[in-house]
Amino acid sequence: MSLSLNEVETLAKKAARGAGYPWGLAEEAGLATRWLWGQGIDGCQEIAGLLGMCDGSDLSGWGPRPGAHWVAQYGTLCPIAAGAALSDHARLLPDETLTLENVARPMLLAPFAALAARRLQTQIALSWPETRLTTDGETLHIQGPAGAARATVTVAKAETLNNACPKLTRANPDSDTLKCLETFAHRTYAPATQASRLNGAGAGLSDND
Amino acid sequence: MGDGPDIKRRAPDIVMRLKRLGSLHQSRLSFMRILTRRLARDAWRFEQRAFQMDRGGVGHAVYTAHGPDRAYSLVAFAHDLPDDQRSDRVIAEAWDATFTLFDGIPTAQDIARLAKNVPLQETGRVSETELTLSRANRSVRLWAHVIERLAAGLQPDPQMIESVGYLMRTTAVYGSGKFGAADRAMIADRPEMHVPFQAEMLSVYLIRWFVRDLVQHMADARGAGKTAKLAPDIARRLGIGNSTGLGMAPFLINHPVLLNNWISVREDAIAQVRALAQATPGEADVFRDIFRRAKASVAVWRSDHPIQIEKLASLRADLAALSGKLRQTNFARSHPWDHLMRWAEDTLSEEGQEFLASLILEPYGALVDHLANHMASDAPEPARIKGTMPIARVRALVRQNFGWSEDLDWSAKEHTARAWYVSEEKLEPRLGERFDEPIAAYEQPLAPARDAIAALKALKPWEDTATIAAFLLRHPEHRHIIRRVQMTRHAPYAEIRDNTIGAEVLPIDMLRAKLSFFGATHFDPRSDRWVRICMFAGAPYPDDLTDKTSDLWVYPETPA
Repeated sequence: MSLSLNEVETLAKKAARGAGYPWGLAEEAGLATRWLWGQGIDGCQEIAGLLGMCDGSDLSGWGPRPGAHWVAQYGTLCPIAAGAALSDHARLLPDETLTLENVARPMLLAPFAALAARRLQTQIALSWPETRLTTDGETLHIQGPAGAARATVTVAKAETLNNACPKLTRANPDSDTLKCLETFAHRTYAPATQASRLNGAGAGLSDND
Repeated sequence: MGDGPDIKRRAPDIVMRLKRLGSLHQSRLSFMRILTRRLARDAWRFEQRAFQMDRGGVGHAVYTAHGPDRAYSLVAFAHDLPDDQRSDRVIAEAWDATFTLFDGIPTAQDIARLAKNVPLQETGRVSETELTLSRANRSVRLWAHVIERLAAGLQPDPQMIESVGYLMRTTAVYGSGKFGAADRAMIADRPEMHVPFQAEMLSVYLIRWFVRDLVQHMADARGAGKTAKLAPDIARRLGIGNSTGLGMAPFLINHPVLLNNWISVREDAIAQVRALAQATPGEADVFRDIFRRAKASVAVWRSDHPIQIEKLASLRADLAALSGKLRQTNFARSHPWDHLMRWAEDTLSEEGQEFLASLILEPYGALVDHLANHMASDAPEPARIKGTMPIARVRALVRQNFGWSEDLDWSAKEHTARAWYVSEEKLEPRLGERFDEPIAAYEQPLAPARDAIAALKALKPWEDTATIAAFLLRHPEHRHIIRRVQMTRHAPYAEIRDNTIGAEVLPIDMLRAKLSFFGATHFDPRSDRWVRICMFAGAPYPDDLTDKTSDLWVYPETPA
């Protein structure tokens, strides 16, 4: 199904919230999903894959404890939390490479690397076995297979990039992925009650005239 | 700005209170007036390309607006809706008419595709060639009356027209990528779409034209050869009604930079006019004339809601006082507009002050109209967090925007009595009682003041020089509000300076603020959380749209 980028952003944000992310990180998940689609990459599949992995666990254990090696307390790094930290710390990044240990769905780091690249006005490369992504903030270049369930990722400043992914203005997730995200998103909706119907929207009155 | 008093924009602590936002009035910088001025100035051409309706008014129509570079078409579907389905707005699943604004001119295949989807509204899908999706219901009372009279060769009763004001009222006009439509980013760089909500306003403007044709068509079918043609002066008084529910309130809170841009442009315009050392006799005459017409509009503003009845009484008292003040005011004095505004601040209610603030812009289109180009916000929201910001600066920004709530007891029930949530039933925003309903777990982040003060507390043990990036790594739960707080660096009017979850909050205040920027008048709250308005009443139809008629239509023509 063809979705607007606004729709996938909203859906991914709600889904992340439904999976237990705090609102601020859920917003990052929405932006990341939208950004990936803008580069022609199925961001919905990435975020659905991530939410499937971390659903039900205490997310505080998935955040990075920085140093030269970023590791998560529970062993797997959340790419949204790690990506947000990467973007927040862009100016504080070391000149040498940085290693992010065992990142879930590492493709989701790309939008945050792009934010950092824009901030630093440079190119940033993310590498894991068989794959290398380069971004200047606006575009993304991919060498090797794009999807990975988890990988240890090195982050480094890069020289140049070429063959950027063609930009897209729409998203086309498959129906299973869409359903998965909608199921997560549904958890953010309050069950309908009579009180809600009558008072919540303030529409007890008929609108006929 | 020359000699004389030092005139700055009014402070956010004054402007961003809910009571004042709930007292805003339309102005030259309202989106409907910006649209009609542009359509006339750029000599847009309008065309009814299709009108395929049966005698009962069921079918479709296409109305195209041709601009200098692009065309836009309203595709309208009219339905035969049984009276019992014209139901309460929240649970409606069928409407008298449904619409989309097509980007360009639709082909027969486009129409066939849209016919399968547009009538379904939220359960259908549109595509990137559609810019808006909307629907409307008839005013049963006025619709029947107009058809009956016209079919009998008579004109409708002017009092009936006055008391309802519209033949159809929209219950939603969706844009910006909703239900598959084109994202705002796809049209934001077009000059005619750059100002906010221009696609939505154009949709409603064309809907009004369609509705006039539809009612005439149905009257013609009923009365055959003896049917009268709806008199142009009566047609012109008809607007399109609009029922606006809670959704607009979260919209304002969720788009802080956009809200800032609207308010700051209006404040800039007001400050620029106040700073004028003199008013020419011609400018003073324009003002007096429009004041007289605006007063006539307020005189026919009706509402049955106790809050609005009270506000209307103060507004009318304010206008009486203002009339007296204007009789004594010599516009040749120095800084006449600033003088009036200062007098109003000391004398009038918020309704009267904001009425005057909007009105003093009227003689100065050449000075203020161009400011409308700064009302959009096309930077992505939510914005990127600036991680290097020292915590001292974050604390200062919190206090600057939310200092008013630092001493509020946020553990007291009355300050957190409400919670905003989305219901699974219609996926629409609602406002509930936190301590009486099972909704707290579903709360939307629409209480910036509470959240900002909570973050301030969490920041307490942190060094002034530590970075916010380090804080957020430890406290991702505050990321949402820290982002908002950072956005206020360049957006002083981004945050409402009142509690949005208190026991006393009136969502209609937020609705009115937004609708006033649309250009709505005659706000008629139906409860504390939804409001009825009328759009484009008095506006020229496309065949009558010229530079002479395109701007001041919002003020009724009254004999001097």
